[in-house]
Amino acid sequence: MIKCANLNISFENKNILKNITLEVQNHLSILGANGSGKSSFAKALSGLIEYDGDITIDSQNIKTLTPNARAKLLSYIPTKLELYDTLITVEEFVLLGRFPYKESLFSYAKKDYDIVNEMLAFLGIAHLAKHTISELSSGEQQLTLIAQALAQQSKIIIFDEPTANLDPKNSQIIAEHIKALKKEHTIILITHDLHLAAFVDSQVLFIKDNSAKLYDKEFFSDTMLEKLYGTAFSNLAVRYD
Amino acid sequence: MIKNLLWLTLIVLFFLAPLVGAVELSLHEILQGNTLNATIFYNLRLPRVLFAFFAGGILALSGLLFQTLFRNALMTPYTLGISSGAVLGAGIAIKLGLATLVFGIGAVSLFGFAGALLTVFLLIYLSQFLRASGQEALLLLGIALSLFYTSVLMVIFYLGSAIQNDMLIRFTMGSLSVIGWKYPILIAVAALLLLLFVYRYKFELQLMSISDEQAKLKGVNTKRVTLLLLAVSSLAIGVLVSISGPIGFIGLIIPHIIQKLYPVNITQRILKTTLFGGLFLVACDMLSRTLQTQSELPIGIITAIIGGPFFIYLIIVNAKK
Repeated sequence: MIKCANLNISFENKNILKNITLEVQNHLSILGANGSGKSSFAKALSGLIEYDGDITIDSQNIKTLTPNARAKLLSYIPTKLELYDTLITVEEFVLLGRFPYKESLFSYAKKDYDIVNEMLAFLGIAHLAKHTISELSSGEQQLTLIAQALAQQSKIIIFDEPTANLDPKNSQIIAEHIKALKKEHTIILITHDLHLAAFVDSQVLFIKDNSAKLYDKEFFSDTMLEKLYGTAFSNLAVRYD
Repeated sequence: MIKNLLWLTLIVLFFLAPLVGAVELSLHEILQGNTLNATIFYNLRLPRVLFAFFAGGILALSGLLFQTLFRNALMTPYTLGISSGAVLGAGIAIKLGLATLVFGIGAVSLFGFAGALLTVFLLIYLSQFLRASGQEALLLLGIALSLFYTSVLMVIFYLGSAIQNDMLIRFTMGSLSVIGWKYPILIAVAALLLLLFVYRYKFELQLMSISDEQAKLKGVNTKRVTLLLLAVSSLAIGVLVSISGPIGFIGLIIPHIIQKLYPVNITQRILKTTLFGGLFLVACDMLSRTLQTQSELPIGIITAIIGGPFFIYLIIVNAKK
């Protein structure tokens, strides 16, 4: 369970989120306009940016966690894979997910390699193991990022706009993986994609005008969407029953 | 094939290097001992070759380290102004006519070392005012510092006597000329220490080469690792430059050459980069000693003449892809 108490996030003296107090039971989708603070919220959660107030996950205050303990609790999947060392292979990249568990200073254990291979097979990209990251398509890169997060074996996985760069087919593949992962992980999904959010089917945190509010299924009703986004979605294929 | 040939050539040159120079030495004379030529070999040539080897290793490995930590192909201690800091420090010592020895180390070297270290502190201090992703801004800061140092050095130059200026020019050109074993041993220790630290933190470096955020999310204390590796590398570079003067291009081009020869991830390029840098500088130094010039050609000029065109070639090949 994720709890925020009097959470305030500001960036360069500008308030992004003000006085957020909420309790999320399990999975969460975060929606809101561009620049509303969705990513800031997720970054505060992951300990990447400073904030005032408290965030607790399963009654542990995340400010007090060591970087290593936080890595074992929570992983964050960025929208896009950007790296300087493009010569790294898929297998080596996914292996980095095992960093928090590495016991020897100079090498990873056989168990770590086994977990990596298992995750690559699970996501159907085992055949790409020896390819370098730069040779992959956007969809394959997103799967590689997910494989790394799964190798990290953290309870919580944060997806930051996972389908923003993908075509409909790859979006669907990723969406199904996200939904399937709900069984064993707590999924926090940041997205603009209403279809994806409805498909993943979790509580919704809608961020607008520096404040955030939690919704359940009622979020996806036509009247609610029109009220929140200020425009009607008459063509939206989503019908949430 | 080309790779093996290149390594083989460099290794052969490494073993030939102590034998060639102004005086040709034969193995027979050296093994006899006690001759003048044996003295040249053991007290001048051999220390110099080993000094060059470890110096090249430090320069190349520091280049790889800086490029990876800052995720920018142009980041090296040289481009960031750390070498220029050493030159200015040495210039001040020369101008002040300081000749005292501290722990057997000359004042010029000590001031050079202080100049390099102060530049690192200045860069770390100034980088607080940059955004987290301000890599380009940091590079510009380094270049600005370099230019500033050069101007101050020019002032010193105009105030200096002819003898002082001669010393100053020799220092700014870089030189691998050492007498005896004190400096080679010092540089060898610095090189091995740097290699040990980089090797110890290779997986952290691999994560940081993706992004600071990704490294943090995997549990790396990025600030601590960055400061630690920068400190060790700057110490090694500071010690080196305070003895040899600045030697450019090695830190910039060797990591790129190795990356082209071996398209593998950073952790597998650490040792290769260090070794290649060492062998390459030995070969350059051998060239500087054997060219039929009036006096020995400064090493900094050789590395720049070889390195410049090669770097342009690399850029063009990369741009074609």
